[in-house]
Amino acid sequence: MPKPRILIVDDEERFVTTLAKRLIERELEVVVGVYSGKEAIEEVRNNTYDVIILDVKMPGLDGVETLREMKKIDPGIEVIMLTGHASVDSAVEGMRLGAYEYLMKPCEIDELMEKINGAYELKTARDERIRQAEVRKMVDRRPG
Amino acid sequence: MPKQITDSYRGLRQYIIIILLVAAAIPLAVIGGSIYYEYRASVREKVTTQLKSIVTHHKESIESFLQEITAAMRVATHLKPLDKIAQTEVLQNVFHSLQREYKHAFEDLGVIDSKGAHLAYIGAYDLLGKNYSDAAWFKEVMDKRVFISDVFLGYRQVPHFVIAVKEGEGKGAWILRATVDAARFGTVVENVRLGHTGEAFIVNKEGYYETRPRMAGDILEKIEPGSLDLAPFDGVKFWEVKDKNGQKVLRAKTWMKDNNWLLIVKQDVDEAFAEVYKTRNMAIALFVIGALLVAVVTFFTTRVLVRKIEKADEQKRALDEQLIESAKLASIGELSAGIAHEINNPLAIIGQEAGWMQDLLKRDDLKGIKEMDDFKDSLREIARQAGQCKEITHKLLSFARKTESVIKNVNINELIEDVIGIVEREAAVNNIEIVRQYDEPLPLIYGDPAQLRQVFLNLLNNATDALKRGGEIKIETGTGEDDSISIKVSDTGVGMPKEILTKIFDPFFTTKPQRKGTGLGLSICHGIIEELGGDITVASQVGKGTTFTINLPLEQKRGET
Repeated sequence: MPKPRILIVDDEERFVTTLAKRLIERELEVVVGVYSGKEAIEEVRNNTYDVIILDVKMPGLDGVETLREMKKIDPGIEVIMLTGHASVDSAVEGMRLGAYEYLMKPCEIDELMEKINGAYELKTARDERIRQAEVRKMVDRRPG
Repeated sequence: MPKQITDSYRGLRQYIIIILLVAAAIPLAVIGGSIYYEYRASVREKVTTQLKSIVTHHKESIESFLQEITAAMRVATHLKPLDKIAQTEVLQNVFHSLQREYKHAFEDLGVIDSKGAHLAYIGAYDLLGKNYSDAAWFKEVMDKRVFISDVFLGYRQVPHFVIAVKEGEGKGAWILRATVDAARFGTVVENVRLGHTGEAFIVNKEGYYETRPRMAGDILEKIEPGSLDLAPFDGVKFWEVKDKNGQKVLRAKTWMKDNNWLLIVKQDVDEAFAEVYKTRNMAIALFVIGALLVAVVTFFTTRVLVRKIEKADEQKRALDEQLIESAKLASIGELSAGIAHEINNPLAIIGQEAGWMQDLLKRDDLKGIKEMDDFKDSLREIARQAGQCKEITHKLLSFARKTESVIKNVNINELIEDVIGIVEREAAVNNIEIVRQYDEPLPLIYGDPAQLRQVFLNLLNNATDALKRGGEIKIETGTGEDDSISIKVSDTGVGMPKEILTKIFDPFFTTKPQRKGTGLGLSICHGIIEELGGDITVASQVGKGTTFTINLPLEQKRGET
């Protein structure tokens, strides 16, 4: 099974780096961390990611704005929102905008792994359906 | 109540009483006073008029008396020629007819010739042959034809006065001279009676009494020097003096007999104004009674008023205390939320770092470390404590959260039943009986079911903790006042003293052993109930149990923003 490509977005640098190390330790692929919404959007525009772990509360571009921009660039991307308790509302709004799930900070690594896997499975399943649909389309188009 | 506050109420009461009394007394005094003085002035006018009229009247009657006698004597001199009247018998007849006419006012009667010699005499004294040519009265009568003397003692040592009338001219002129008993004449004046103290008397221009005054002095005595102004004037003068006893006296005087005699009528002020004094005393009595009445009414009204104010103040104080309490809770909540939020990030990092180290320890190349168990134990503890902190911050945030709750119709009875379902088993194990007393059907209320569940779960858990040796938890629901429902959760547990009750809704306040409770349960309950526009109160008695009462409005009172 291919491994999901992960992008971590949080203004707390140390949180990003350590979480990245822990996820790599769990054999997730190409874990990249950025420290602001702006960087994250740039990263999504330039590379392909499966799952984004996105902090809601960030200075500058906040989590919800970042999510909206990312979905414009790549609608198929799956996002897990990380939130302090006070920003649950934002997390709910994020989910309305298409985020996969939200987790309250600080979160257990196992829980996070579970969500990542869930998101990735959803994405791969959908990607698979899209791929099949494209195949059918190609077959249908074939002159016959 | 503190002494200061009691004093301030007493001060307020005194202030109101004084203001009201002054406000009532001033108009009362002004009205009473002005009526009294008006009345006094009118009585004074009346008294003055009365005295003046007496003076005028008596002046007229005395003057007419003197004129009459003079006229009668003049008639006699006209009728009888000198040679006839000089005969004793004829003079006797004239004397007797005059005596008859004037009630024996005459002492004697004599005829005197132009040289001053006594020609004839009828009377008690032997005056015949006496010569008057050098007497002042003789010269005057010869000059003016009529003479009326002042009162004098004369040879007889009896107060009398003389009336002399001249008849004829030149050498043939003669004089009819009569002596009039002054005392007898004086009765006309002396009989003036004015109440008890009123009297009349005559004083001559030298200041001697011509009649006998009733009160002081005697006929022909000199008046007290300086007590009377003897300057002549026309008409009637009226004035007020103090006599030698310090008694105030009203006096009216008028000159008569060609400014020779001064007629005086006097009366004590006290008597003249007796009526006024009576009125004054009555006015004072009325004033005092009125003032007393006002004072009594003021006193009682003020007492009632101040009591009402006191009561209102007390209520206000109680309300203020409640407000302060809620404000305190709200500010603690905000502060806690702020702190919790700030702590959350470091906490996440601590947890993350500990987790990373745990991850590292699982690597094969680290398996041989001797202190591996210690490391693992330490890291587990760090992770556990970070987790504990996370619990606290999350509870704090939920206590203070300003987020919108999911408001919908809630059947409280059903909701409580749900919660009882969670705790019932544990309660049964601890020998606790749960008694339900639901009011059915209970109106639905608006609320967040999840939050309300949390509230009742909290209360039931607390009750269970209070019942260490078993007992009873009673849950009552019912409709309360003002479109609200009330829920009572009571236990028969250990109860709480008052010091604890006052702090029970404060965040972090707990009576549970360390690490068993966060002290946030009831503050969260308080926050949730307040958010719904309701209130939660507690009553407790040590050893008997505790009752929590929640009131929730049927209508959602707060805006759904």
